[in-house]
Amino acid sequence: MSDAANTAHRLPIRAVEAPGGLTAWLVEDHSVPVVSLAWAWEGGASLDPAERSGASAMAAALLTEGAGDLRAAEFADALRDSAIGLGFEAQRDGFEGAFRALSTALPEAVRLARLAMTAPRLDADAVERVRARAVAGVRQALETPRGQAGRAFWSAAYPDHPVGRPVGGTPESLAAMPVEAIREAIARQLRRGGLLVAAAGDITPEDLAGLLPALFDGLPPAAPPPPPPLPPFRAFGRKVVEIDSPQSTAIFGQPGLGVDDPDWEAAQVVLRVLAGGGFTSRLMQAVRVQRGLTYGIGAGLDVMFRRAQVIGSVATENGRVAETLAVTQEEWARMAAEGPTAEEVDEAVAYLTGSLPLQFTDTRRIAGTLLAMRRNRRPIDWLDGRTARLRALTRDRAATVAARLLKPEALSVVVAGRPVGL
Amino acid sequence: MPPVTRRTALATAAAAVATAALAAPPTVAAPAAGAETGPPVPPPERPLFGAQVWRLPQNGLTVAFVESRRAPVVAQYLFYAVGSGEDPAGRSGVAHFLEHMMFKGSRNVPNGAFSQIVAREGGNDNAFTSRDVTAYYQHVEASRLPLVMEMEADRVAGALLGAEEFEAERQVVLEERRTRTDSNPRARFREAFDAALWGPQHWRGRPIIGWEEEIRAITLDDLRGFYARWYAPENAILVVAGDVREAELRRLVERHYGAVPAREAPRRVRGPAPATAREPRLIRRDPGVREAAYARAWMAPTLTAGETGHAYALEVLAHLLGGGQGSRLHKALVEAGLAVAAAAGYDGDALGVGAFSLYATPRREVAPERLESAADDVVKRLLDEGPSEAEVARSIRQLTAGALFALDSLGAAPHMIGGALAIGLPIEAVEFWPARLRAVTPAQVAEAARAVLAAAPNTVGWLLPADAPAGSVRG
Repeated sequence: MSDAANTAHRLPIRAVEAPGGLTAWLVEDHSVPVVSLAWAWEGGASLDPAERSGASAMAAALLTEGAGDLRAAEFADALRDSAIGLGFEAQRDGFEGAFRALSTALPEAVRLARLAMTAPRLDADAVERVRARAVAGVRQALETPRGQAGRAFWSAAYPDHPVGRPVGGTPESLAAMPVEAIREAIARQLRRGGLLVAAAGDITPEDLAGLLPALFDGLPPAAPPPPPPLPPFRAFGRKVVEIDSPQSTAIFGQPGLGVDDPDWEAAQVVLRVLAGGGFTSRLMQAVRVQRGLTYGIGAGLDVMFRRAQVIGSVATENGRVAETLAVTQEEWARMAAEGPTAEEVDEAVAYLTGSLPLQFTDTRRIAGTLLAMRRNRRPIDWLDGRTARLRALTRDRAATVAARLLKPEALSVVVAGRPVGL
Repeated sequence: MPPVTRRTALATAAAAVATAALAAPPTVAAPAAGAETGPPVPPPERPLFGAQVWRLPQNGLTVAFVESRRAPVVAQYLFYAVGSGEDPAGRSGVAHFLEHMMFKGSRNVPNGAFSQIVAREGGNDNAFTSRDVTAYYQHVEASRLPLVMEMEADRVAGALLGAEEFEAERQVVLEERRTRTDSNPRARFREAFDAALWGPQHWRGRPIIGWEEEIRAITLDDLRGFYARWYAPENAILVVAGDVREAELRRLVERHYGAVPAREAPRRVRGPAPATAREPRLIRRDPGVREAAYARAWMAPTLTAGETGHAYALEVLAHLLGGGQGSRLHKALVEAGLAVAAAAGYDGDALGVGAFSLYATPRREVAPERLESAADDVVKRLLDEGPSEAEVARSIRQLTAGALFALDSLGAAPHMIGGALAIGLPIEAVEFWPARLRAVTPAQVAEAARAVLAAAPNTVGWLLPADAPAGSVRG
């Protein structure tokens, strides 16, 4: 097993505190004249009232459609003249902003990002353009089995919580969305409180400390309201969504574990062996390589509100859906019953430890990784200890975790397409 | 995987460009020397990557190297100068199918072991096929470079292409086709649209993944013949980027690739553009589609075919016509309330004839012919009046402003360099692309627009929901 060279690399993350108390995590790297910044709040679409589904997503889109004295096209030109990639995104459980800029354009990036957050214009024509685009987007998303399956899966698993609704809203909710609801989404979400920030690239801690107040001090101090608590994942068996297509997409899932669970990394190893990326997983071998049933199959931990569900997907010809699901369920059950082999654990640990440096080759990805760590409330030295924690994992422990985690009988499945024999 | 070009590699550098229903790769634009505003741009004499390029005398393998010590990682990309454009007649999909079979073992690496070994070493590997290239790559921790070189060299020297794995893999390819195309009405339309413009058997009009019935007809001998013909060292470009010193790399390349026997590879010749569009108008009604889509594409020169001098000007033209907010199509279609999205696309970094395209998603209440005539007006006005100096300067500024973001990624340099060298472009086309774009003048844009938008064969396509009013578009 390989373990020599890659352990030497540590990602030097430091916490930078700005006047006023805001902190940012930073990986400083001056080798390329680029800076990425990413920030987040809890909330996002989970704060949208049911009849205003999509308000946060429309708000996110509208923040860069004109701010201050700059109308939408002028704002876009200001960004693009300086190659500033600034954007906001509403998620199921949070709201994120991010930019990447050349070091020379950093002051302009800060100016425009601050303007977007503190003085969005919400001009009527921009609202209508964004609304039309959003409606077309959610309608287009339902043109494919994949889009249909995703929609049905989450609404079945969380029928009574906003995460069961599409983040982008529905054609009806979007059509009826008053600008006040968008304004309200911005006002409740964009706060100095509850804000998490991460940065990477060509910036010193001192400059970052100076930049944070310039970027965020215009926001109201109190944190966003808490989202409604996430109920347990509701197992629902098997559902079929009929859509005319030669191939069906299946999305399958089951409850997982909290990100603070002591077995978190063991669960990652187990799922890497069962269903992880690339060609090496048991599911990829059984379903694709040996039987030619699919182009790709995989599953992993999907985190919302610091709790993960185990979610996977596969697409196969309508006539072979039953076989594909049967093989998947068998592998799920076999892993739950027997756990991974010692060799499989070694290989998964070797991958998960050895691939760490590959996560750190571009500033956006580094900032995104740091932000995800903060959202999961990881300690700042979490990555430093990761290799040792993974290496300490025994085969027996992994088998215990597999038995505890994987519930083949509780696997909920949505199939969208014209599956045969289900 | 989809083809990657200079612009797709850099697409994320630009601020979000409005996504069209049939989004072409978003264009990124470039500033003129002496532009009024914008950040300082690197002096034109400074290369973007500072790549070293050499050839192995033993077998003709081209090697390109970009050093980056940012993280202890290295990327190895082996590009073959062959893609779906070289698929034999009646056998579309061969280049892509072969890409799949290249993971089924070589003389010293058993079936499936390549990816498994890379993963065990903490690396990622994959491959992609475009019209112009087939490329295999690994991202690994820097000390693993010799290992992946040894395995990749073994695969050039002798892939097994075994019969045992062939039929199961054909099913995988067919499932890939169903996933990418057959289960997506927009992808089905894109495919039909290309075939309408070029003809379903023209190299430019066939899908990269292949027509379904031709994938079913491909034999193992087809794959072996294709491999024998094209996968020669002298037809390959090895690009390594990352944390390794040049002297060490030269030594490793000699050791692993120098021993691969030389083989002759043919020079590839792309067929000319057809004299006319196969179908100048394609109307497709699809019950699976909920939002209509408009597309128009003209046959166009590239950096390698036709009036190559137009290529950079066409890139500027695509930006000023359809590069998001502030572009002519955005103003005339999106801001005017006719469309949800509108865009233009052009890729000059291609082998053989290319295409210049417009896309739009009409608003639901807007009749297709109204949108189409508004798009026609935009084109006509541009042809009548030409672009203004200010809008050309703006497009050039925006296209080039983010050039340096290519350094903020391990894969960008290999993608750009391998893609360019594989189609016969010099390394300077990559290293100095911003300067080449900045040299474009308004007169050149006007001339390129006339050559393509006023004169070249083209196809207009509509994808319509099944319930769209009859007769809303001329059939």
